[in-house]
Amino acid sequence: MAAAGLQRRKVELLLEEVDHLPTLPGVSLHVLPLVMADTPRPRDIQLAIEIDPTLAARILKLAIDLGAPADSVVSVDAALQVVPLDALTASLLSIDTVDQKVAKDVELPRLWRHVLATAMACQIIATRVGTVPPETALLAGLLHDIGQVALRVLMPRAYAQVLEQLRAGNTDLLEAERDLFGLDHAVLGKQLAQRWGFCETLQNVIWLHHQAQVPTANRGAGGGLTELVRLADLLARQHGFSYHAAEQIPENTAEVAERIGLSGIQAEQIGHQVSTAIEFNAGPLGLREEPSPDELRRVFLGANVRLGELYHNGYSLSHAAQAESRESGLLLQLNADLAACHSTRDVLETVGTTACNALDLHVALPYVVATDGTYVEGVRCIGGRVEEHFLYEVTSGDSLEPWPTRPGIPLSPSSAPVRAERVEGWLFERQGIDLGSGPFYASAIAVEDSKLGALVFSIGNPPHELTPQEARQVAAVVTLAGIALKRSQADADLVALSERLADVNRQLEATHHKSLQQRNVASLSEMATGAAHEINNPLAIISGRAQQLASLQQDAATRDILQTIIDQAERISDIIMELRAFAKPPAPKPESVEPAALARRAAGDVEPPAGAPAVPVDVEADDDTPPIQVDPDQVAAALSEILANAVQACAHAGAGTVRLAVESLTVGGEVRFVVTDSGPGMDPQVRARAFDPFYSGYEAGRRCGLGLPKAYRAIHANGGDMTLESTPGHGTTVRVTFPAFKPTPSESANGSVRA
Amino acid sequence: MAKDVYSTGEAAKICRVSQQTIIRCFDSGKLDGFYVPGSRFRRIPRETLIRFMKENSIPLTNLDSDKKKVLVVDDETELVDLFVDILERDGRFQVKTATCGYDAGLLTQQFRPDIIVLDYMLPDINANVVCKTIHSNPGLEDTKIILISAHFDEADGSAEVERLGADAFIQKPFQLDEVVAVIADLLKL
Repeated sequence: MAAAGLQRRKVELLLEEVDHLPTLPGVSLHVLPLVMADTPRPRDIQLAIEIDPTLAARILKLAIDLGAPADSVVSVDAALQVVPLDALTASLLSIDTVDQKVAKDVELPRLWRHVLATAMACQIIATRVGTVPPETALLAGLLHDIGQVALRVLMPRAYAQVLEQLRAGNTDLLEAERDLFGLDHAVLGKQLAQRWGFCETLQNVIWLHHQAQVPTANRGAGGGLTELVRLADLLARQHGFSYHAAEQIPENTAEVAERIGLSGIQAEQIGHQVSTAIEFNAGPLGLREEPSPDELRRVFLGANVRLGELYHNGYSLSHAAQAESRESGLLLQLNADLAACHSTRDVLETVGTTACNALDLHVALPYVVATDGTYVEGVRCIGGRVEEHFLYEVTSGDSLEPWPTRPGIPLSPSSAPVRAERVEGWLFERQGIDLGSGPFYASAIAVEDSKLGALVFSIGNPPHELTPQEARQVAAVVTLAGIALKRSQADADLVALSERLADVNRQLEATHHKSLQQRNVASLSEMATGAAHEINNPLAIISGRAQQLASLQQDAATRDILQTIIDQAERISDIIMELRAFAKPPAPKPESVEPAALARRAAGDVEPPAGAPAVPVDVEADDDTPPIQVDPDQVAAALSEILANAVQACAHAGAGTVRLAVESLTVGGEVRFVVTDSGPGMDPQVRARAFDPFYSGYEAGRRCGLGLPKAYRAIHANGGDMTLESTPGHGTTVRVTFPAFKPTPSESANGSVRA
Repeated sequence: MAKDVYSTGEAAKICRVSQQTIIRCFDSGKLDGFYVPGSRFRRIPRETLIRFMKENSIPLTNLDSDKKKVLVVDDETELVDLFVDILERDGRFQVKTATCGYDAGLLTQQFRPDIIVLDYMLPDINANVVCKTIHSNPGLEDTKIILISAHFDEADGSAEVERLGADAFIQKPFQLDEVVAVIADLLKL
């Protein structure tokens, strides 16, 4: 058993490699001329196929391989419907034949005749009983012994032993096969049919046609096809078309015939009919005579020539397809590369190197003309490397068209390359650009008739004229380049646009911020005015009564308490009045002021915070700083507030330094006061609200929170600007900038003296 | 408060005579008056005293001249009360009050104050109207006006004083000492 199992596996493995089975030499002699005819007649070819199991199997497999559903190809005709003529021709021209000696040894013609007889019987029976299409029955008959065909043609020596045993008369066919191969031709045939993708009905016919009693489950599927084939097989064998010479006449067929609805006599008639037909036709069909080797050679030579032609045509077709696929591959790649490019320069470099490498250009020089036409930007690639990236100014004498100035050859906006010449006045001639020695061309880079630039190039090594295929490829590359350049320009425009938008947004935000601030200040002003009245009156009463009590009070401690009430009332009033002053600042009274003196005055006015470490204020001011036109009291007070704030910040942190520098800006002649402290700095949130009234970044103990806002208001009222920069841990810098003092004509004498 | 009825001692002081002389005139019927009901205290109404002084050619200047008349105008009654309290306690001032511009005008005519402490913002008439009225009224040219305000700071208040032709500005809340000092200063006390 183990040996049988091993043998079976070997046979199975061998058959797994088999795609086609060879046919009889006589059959090929019959078929090939039909295929090679100047005008092949499909009907003749079909008839030739319908007598041969290997051809039928081949065509069926071809149809299924070409994508036809297995269930739909259940006849030779159906298979031929889906197989194109050239595929059919190529397939039939390449058929193998079995060696004549082998054919003789394993009695192949006998088997072929048996198959044919069975097939014909199938067709007739099917026509009679009407349960199965006759053409399907014919195909089933042709294929029913495909396993036996395979075993005989592929392993003729082993099969010769099977036949030997049968002649000895002590075994039947299937048993002998199983003994020798580990499996019989029915099982093997099913495996083949399965692997080749035949439909299940055919697989079952091949597998079960020797079973005396077909399982009911399989009976219905093919409309009793298996039973039908079994009957045909028996009839064929009874009428002289047995597998082999030694076969005994099988059992009575009447029983089988009745099962499918035929009488024994009808079956008998069918047997005779088939027998006669085959005896009559076997010769012309190549199933009897053994063809002469010369004849065979002649036919095969013809077939090979024909096949050669067919392959040549196929090769040309596939070559063109390959070139096209290479081209589209190149374009796809280029497209992907270009999609990743974000600048004009990227696009130019990608186009240049791709054109060089893929199209084998010697020099590739893609360039774009600036939208205003004042310059060209390009790259020069030689041998696939970017040699230079250039920007050339276009002057009025420059031409961008590389041919003699005669009318008629404008660089067409289509991307087809045009033969070019180095001519006087051509921009790249003036620049003395190296384009190699051979002929060179120019191809416009354009999108929808709008010319963006061009690709100037010369063809590879050795230099040669442009072939139509190269021209087509260049045109394709250049078309993509145009799209990519347009996109990169659009990108650049978009960036510029978004920058402009961002700018506008910034301005809007600043305006919005200002108007918000103004609205805040306006409502604050209203509130402050109302509050002053509403609060100061009760404060006056509280304070007044407390003063009255204090004046009558002998006890010093009680007088102190009353004094606290008086002081706090005063404090509230101070806040109210400061708020009111912030909301309604007095109009400045500008005069010409020396910034240095102003800075020193402001620094001198800063009062050190009580109970905190002293923080020195360094003033760096050049007495030559040009004067500014401001209200000295207001600006000094504002600077003092800023300095006080800085001192406070340092004191709060325990230590630090404050510096007030006066700078004269060379550009615009503005004067800037810069207050820098080494304090703890501000968080972004605090920084953003540093100029808001009553917003203090510090904890309790801070002044009322109007210092910086008031300073900001005062600076703006005096025509200056105030900015604050602060990073936590890195101190704060406040810049107060006033415009240059532009003396009126009467004052200009003064000014010129200074200068 | 200007007095309507005087005791014999007060009348003597006003007329610069001895109290005995006043009692003699009262008892002889030269100076009309009455006894406080249920007692022997003599009282002389202001009108009969003035008639008596005129009949006897006694100058009227001493009548009330010992106290300067102050009119306090403010719609904050609590504040008015405070002023009255402070100024009367001081002793040098006779105080009348008004809480609106209309009353202030009437009282100015009757009371003829030496000085008006005037709140800038009154419910009916603004201080500038009051100032204008007083200044345009013959006989009131010398009346001093102190503006008090809860609105203005010192600078704005001073500017307003100048604009209205007033004499001083006091910001609320204030130091009582300062208020009294300013009034005394303006009245040359």
